[in-house]
Amino acid sequence: MSMRQLPVQNLLRRPGRTMALAALTALLAFSVFGGSIVVMSLRQGLNSLESRLGADIIVVPSSAQSKVSFQNMLLQGTTGAFYMDADNLTRVREVEGVEIAAPQVFLASLKADCCSVKIQVIGFDPETDFFVRPWIGQSYSQELGELDVVVGCKVEANVGENIRIYDERCKVVGKLAPTGTGLDTAVYCGMDTMKILLKAAEAKGVSHKVTSDPDDDVISAIYVKVKDGYDIGEVNSKIQGHTRKCSAVRTKSMLTDVSDSLAGISKTVTVLIAAIWALALVILLIAFAMIAGERKREFAVLRLLGSSRAMLIGLVLKESALCSLAGGVLGVLLASLIVFPFTTLIETKLGLPYLRPEISSVTLLGLTSLTATVMIGAAASAWTSFRLSRVDPGTVLREGN
Amino acid sequence: MQRHEVKSFVVKAEQISKRYFRKTGAANCFFAVKPLSLTLEPGTVTVLCGRSGSGKTTLLHILAGLLRPTEGKVRLGEKDIYSLPDKELSALRSRSVGIVPQSRSVLDILTVSENILLPQTLYKKEADRQSAEQWMDALNILHLRDVRAGELSGGEVRRTAIARTLSMNPPIILADEPTGDLDDENTELVFRCFRQAAETHAAVLIVSHEGDALKFADRAFRMDGGVMTELT
Amino acid sequence: MKHYSLCALFVLLLSVVIAVGSVSFLGPCVHEDGSFGACHWASRAILGTGILLTAESLFALLCRDSRMRQGAFVPMFLTACLGCLIPGTLIDLCRMATMRCRALMQPAMILLFSVSAILSLIGFFVEKRRAGGRA
Repeated sequence: MSMRQLPVQNLLRRPGRTMALAALTALLAFSVFGGSIVVMSLRQGLNSLESRLGADIIVVPSSAQSKVSFQNMLLQGTTGAFYMDADNLTRVREVEGVEIAAPQVFLASLKADCCSVKIQVIGFDPETDFFVRPWIGQSYSQELGELDVVVGCKVEANVGENIRIYDERCKVVGKLAPTGTGLDTAVYCGMDTMKILLKAAEAKGVSHKVTSDPDDDVISAIYVKVKDGYDIGEVNSKIQGHTRKCSAVRTKSMLTDVSDSLAGISKTVTVLIAAIWALALVILLIAFAMIAGERKREFAVLRLLGSSRAMLIGLVLKESALCSLAGGVLGVLLASLIVFPFTTLIETKLGLPYLRPEISSVTLLGLTSLTATVMIGAAASAWTSFRLSRVDPGTVLREGN
Repeated sequence: MQRHEVKSFVVKAEQISKRYFRKTGAANCFFAVKPLSLTLEPGTVTVLCGRSGSGKTTLLHILAGLLRPTEGKVRLGEKDIYSLPDKELSALRSRSVGIVPQSRSVLDILTVSENILLPQTLYKKEADRQSAEQWMDALNILHLRDVRAGELSGGEVRRTAIARTLSMNPPIILADEPTGDLDDENTELVFRCFRQAAETHAAVLIVSHEGDALKFADRAFRMDGGVMTELT
Repeated sequence: MKHYSLCALFVLLLSVVIAVGSVSFLGPCVHEDGSFGACHWASRAILGTGILLTAESLFALLCRDSRMRQGAFVPMFLTACLGCLIPGTLIDLCRMATMRCRALMQPAMILLFSVSAILSLIGFFVEKRRAGGRA
């Protein structure tokens, strides 16, 4: 055994004490790593939603319910089906300052064949769409044929499989990249397919008509991009005035609610982490102070044998750093075992966009958490190591007589 | 048993004293060691006896560089040890001074053999296992080499501390009541070991109340109330 | 010489959580109309595997002999591996990732079975060392 191995041996041969200290530091690493991953995922989710929507204004039917329903659809993946007259699309396009107006039609499936869950079907117009197509383009580059659908990443259907919607067999031709939003649980199709599905739905008694005229077309939402140089607020007001029974919502104001909730959660998580760290730091300080009393004799012996004060300080710091490192690794591992496998559950419970950060960010966060844990462990023992190094070996070795 | 010849040092205490202050009571200032001078010559065994509280251990700690005297100097060869910075003094102690303290002085989590080799590993020196095993054998603790010190009896701990000191092969050996926990047979054995160390030019100081120690002494002193007198 | 295995004790606790959880707090999706989805049968298979693992770990815990315990860890490891494969691989679950069976039951069961498998493996090697040390 060498002096270098002494800290390791001290830790290994006092398993009770080592485990207690490691458990405490594991709690620190667990809280900071787990909490930060949740906050980072929420931020990533909001960014993803912002970039995914891409529209400046969204027009939905004017009933309060449809607005709530639309927001829930985006955030929580609940189904929504609301309709307005397709004439509104022409009216929106007539408004000065509107660059693109892309319609979408929503349909909530009945219980799907696999499980008792309704699936949101979103029909889009390939001609004008700027919302789904770039996204679909990443996984499926061809035109969507009749009864071809692309599914969100959370729909457990593989490319080539069929899914039944209102008894129509739709072929899955692509699977979308995750967005962390409610859009991941939807099924996307072209307008032709949507018309077939709407008819099939009607045959099952699910009505989507807004007027009594059976030939009237319907749409659910219009995504509007405003031309450069035009004020989005003004265009929004013009659209509001020019359309019938519609409500034009600025995307930004809709996202403000989400970012407010996110800020609230971030704050709560930060306060919780701070409280856990403060408490653990106090406990660590007390624990090290108690250990100092217990180890006085050990240090007196080492001084007697020729250890310098610096060597003793180094010994204690090495011990606490090693112990904190072991605890830190354990904490990060435990947090990973909870936050990663249960991502969907956390997302569902929070009801907010939630997208796991990239592996490089997670690795960096893991390393930062470990460094912080090791440093706090070493810092908590610094005073103790200083005190122990000042121990007068003569006095200590006489005390035990 | 072999003991290498060591580079000899003369330890010189020049007019050293140690004064303590008590926080309570009338006599709040007292001398644990009154001004005295002492030289420990290589190749000699010096025995210091006296009653409890007479200042023997304080003197030993001052000579070991563990307790700064109130006045006076301690020289190890040419060096005034208390003028050295902590790092140098510690390294010097590790190289040149072997101390057997009065109380339990082993690390309980280490085995007997690890405890004995500890001083050699502190400064990354090559551990002299052969010498360690020879001293363990001489002190009848070789069979305990893989036993953790925490499981040893008082006498076994004492012999482990002595084996550790002798294995260091130091030019100066300071032993404080080294036979306190030992039976007659082991007491005799320990004194013989110290005598043997002195024969290889080590300067040995034994603080003891055992009359037997005097049989092995080249010089003997008595301490009483902090005052040291030589026995002739 | 220890006459019990901590690994067996931990696996016993985990397997009880698996068995009880599969029909309660870690159970499959609850269907409003009372019908059963694929995940229901997956949870039944997990229940059976959980009970088997409980029995095996109990046996390992009660064994007084290191070599017997070492042997007992082999089927425990294999059963835990089988358990990992049940939800989603051997028996299908619901087709929406947000549903309870996929969001909760699957990750929780895979986690519990994986930890049990790792502990069984550790237990095997610990007992091997103990048995070797005694021989």
